This record gives sequence, structure tokens and C-alpha cells, in this order.
Amino acid sequence: MFSISQDFAPPFKLISPFFILGSLFYLFSSCYIFFIDGSSLTTLDTGVLGFVHLFLLGFVMMVIFGAMAQLVPVVLEVGHFGVELFYAIWPLLLIGTLLMVTGFIALPALLPYGGVVVLISMMIFVMEIFLTISKVKKLNMVMSSVLISNTFLFFGIIVGLVMALAYAGTIDADITSLLRAHVYLVIAGYISVTIMGLSVVLLPMFGLSHGFSMKPLEVALYGMSSSVVLVVLSSFLKFAFLEYAGYALAIVSLFIYFYLVLSIYKTRARKENDIYVISLIFSYSSLVISLLMGIAYFITSYEPILLAIGWLMFVGFFGFLITGHIYKIIPFLVWFERFSPLVGKQKVPMLVDMVPIKSSSAQFVFCAAGVSLVCVAILLQNDMLLKAGASFLVVGAVAFFRSVLYMINFK
Amino acid sequence: MYTKEELFKAISTVIDPEVGFNLVEMGLIYDAECNEEGIAKVTMTLSTKACPLHQMIVQWVKESVEKLDGIQEVEVDLVWEPEWNITMADDHVKKALGGG
Repeated sequence: MFSISQDFAPPFKLISPFFILGSLFYLFSSCYIFFIDGSSLTTLDTGVLGFVHLFLLGFVMMVIFGAMAQLVPVVLEVGHFGVELFYAIWPLLLIGTLLMVTGFIALPALLPYGGVVVLISMMIFVMEIFLTISKVKKLNMVMSSVLISNTFLFFGIIVGLVMALAYAGTIDADITSLLRAHVYLVIAGYISVTIMGLSVVLLPMFGLSHGFSMKPLEVALYGMSSSVVLVVLSSFLKFAFLEYAGYALAIVSLFIYFYLVLSIYKTRARKENDIYVISLIFSYSSLVISLLMGIAYFITSYEPILLAIGWLMFVGFFGFLITGHIYKIIPFLVWFERFSPLVGKQKVPMLVDMVPIKSSSAQFVFCAAGVSLVCVAILLQNDMLLKAGASFLVVGAVAFFRSVLYMINFK
Repeated sequence: MYTKEELFKAISTVIDPEVGFNLVEMGLIYDAECNEEGIAKVTMTLSTKACPLHQMIVQWVKESVEKLDGIQEVEVDLVWEPEWNITMADDHVKKALGGG
């Protein structure tokens, strides 16, 4: 018998804090928007930076780290090097995120401390993943994407650490240049490459897709990785051409990645449009719109477009991709832990029975309306519209948190 | 000792919790045979190599056949050729998954 993914599923109590905290941070991030002045938004506004860190660290990274505890053995086909390390990752990420956000809002002196705590949690994560990858005998394309993305995260952490020390005045460094490298390494290098790699495992698995070509993944991965290298180099060499070539390459790579997702979607056997599928449709629509807006920004250099791109990428693309997958991952983990031992002995629920239809639908509708309204508000610099969008998002986030608790407590 | 149909019937009690259909109607069971000594062999596949439940599903298939009287040993051969696709599933499964 040819063995594949091993039975190294981590205990649910290890992973559940990541999802509970992640969904709470999603709610906090939505509430936070009420405290941002929508009439004068800029990319370096401390209120905007506070939101970005609250959302990306508290929600996106928290959920990705938790999901990777489950997905790494599935993707790498080996057990974790030290899965217990995940017990240390979430408390550190929680404390670090709270310190950083407080630093951005009120007490800048806390920023380096928060930054260092976040970086320690990420370093533990990266080292655990590297040591797990070292057990793999032969890397395939998906495994390589895990290695590439975590290598970028490793360098993103190093740059972040240098930034934190510069903030604290311990060393002298150009924070603006480091910031671009840090942001690009973590967002484009880690989050985007991770999403690309995992997509060809998760999307076909849930959609029962077969017969699509893997070539676009290869091209998109190489393109995105080269883009990260170019932008990071431009941060240190002060060569604007490298920077813009990097951005252009990233847009092309993401379009190629979208073509791959489309081909997986077209070859799927499961045609029902459940909460997972509609979340993904909104997510990838946000990606395409933000890429088109990226081209518009190249032409106009109108700053609100850049902010709207960030909003659609983070909350539209990453956000809905993550919430959609949570409706698949949590039921599986709960089912695996609670119901799989009962198979053959008594009637057990199907995974679909564990997803709350009303609150998941409410989450989708309100969050989709909120994301769309806030995007328009950013482009128009309209504070009232921003608050209206935030209201929708908060209702959606409450429904999302309720869905997560429902699935976790399903008996 | 048991025909292929009898073995398939026993295996049809195993349901994939993700899609809600049994493995036989999904077309995941390629072959099953049993000799006079009660030694059974099941050849099957999964819908994806990344299936996190694969070891559990293989175990369930094994247990479903072991429940038959006189079965001494069950070997499950998990294969990837031919690769599974939806055309291998029963018509009602295709219809249900296709939303038709």
C-alpha cells in the first residue's frame, strides 16, 4: 500500500485557541474601523497601521498558524518536528499583537516590545516548519512552496527585528526602507506564496477537481518569489526600476494564480454553492478587482487607490479565503476528534451538518456588504460611508464568531 | 467465499463524511475478492492524495469486511492508478454533487 498523508493530526485543544482568537480579532478589527477617520486616510496613518497589524497579525497570521498545525502533515506527508511548540506560538502572538496595536494607537514605546514578542512567536513557528521540512525526502511543488514561503517569513522576521531595534534606538537603520522589505516579505512572500501552494491541495480536495494543469502554479510561484526578491533588493539598493518591476511581476503572477484557481473551479465535480464556495468567489473577486486597481494606481498614483487595494487584498481576499476555509477546517477537526471514534458504532453527523447555516450566511452577507462599502469609502475618502461599512462588518464578524463557537462546541 | 457484490455491499456501509456518500457509490472501490480461506483483498483509491482521513477510511473499509462471517484477514490495497474522477461515481452521486 502506498502511504500518503500520515495520521499526525494534532489535538484539537492545541489548534482551537488559534481559531477562537482569530475570529475574536476579526471582530476587534471590525470594531476598530469606527476609530479611524475616513476623511483623511493615508498609508502611514498610525490608525491605519494599527488596523493593519490587528487584522494581519491577530486574524490572518493567527488562523494561518493554527491551520498550518493541521495542514503541514497533510501537505508535507511527515509528522511535525515538535507540534507542542504551537502551545507557545498563540500566546506570544496574542500578547505581541496587543502590545503592537496599543503602541500604534496610544503608546509608541510599546511598539518594539510588541514587535519582538511577535517576532519570537513567528521564529518558533518558522523553525518548527523548517525542522519538519527537513524530514521530507523529496520535495514536490507544494512542499517547495511551503519551504519558499517560510524562508521569506524568516527573512521578514529578521528585517522586522532590525526595525524594532531601530525604533527602540538600539541601532541606527533606515526604517522606511526596512518597512517595505518587511511588509513585502511577510505579505507577498509568506502569505501569498502560502495561499498559492495550499490552494492546489485544498481547493481540489473540497471541490473534487481533477485534470487541471499544475504548470500555472509553477509559473506563479516563481514569478511571485522573484517579485519578492526584486522588491526587497530595491529596498536596499534604492533602485526604483527593481521595485516597479517587482510590483508588475507580482500582479502578473497573481493573475496567473487566478487562472489556476479558475481552472480548478471549472474542473470541480461538486457544483453546490455552499458557504465555502461563495466565500471563495467573493475572495477571488476581491483579488481580481485589487489587481485591476493596482494597474490603475500605476497610472494615476492616487493614494486612496493604494489604500483600497490593501483593504481588498487583506479583508476581501485573505479575509474571505480564511473564513471560507474555517467552515471546512473546524468541522473536520471537531469531527475527527469527537465523532470519528464512533463510526460504525452509532450514527455520526456529516461535516456539512456541523456548519450553522443562518450565522454563516449572515456573516457572508454582512461582511461582503461591509467590505464593499468600506472600499468605496476609502476611494471617496468618505467617513460616514466608512462607518456604515464598519457597522455591516461588525454584525458580520459577530455572526462569524458565533459560527466558530457553534462548530467548536458541536456535540 | 464471498462474491465481489457481497463484499461491495459490506463496504457500502462506509461513508465519506465530507461528501456524505458511501465509498462504493462514489466509485472509490475498484475491486474486491475473497478466497475460500476467508482472506479478502480490496483495491481502492481516494478522491485526493491529500485526504487527511485516508488512514481512517482504509481502516473503516477493513473493519466493514471483517464483520462478515468467516473472514480471516483483509488486505486493503490503496492505489492511485487509475486516478479517480467523478465519472466513476454512480449517476445519483454525480447528479447530487452536480446540483442537478
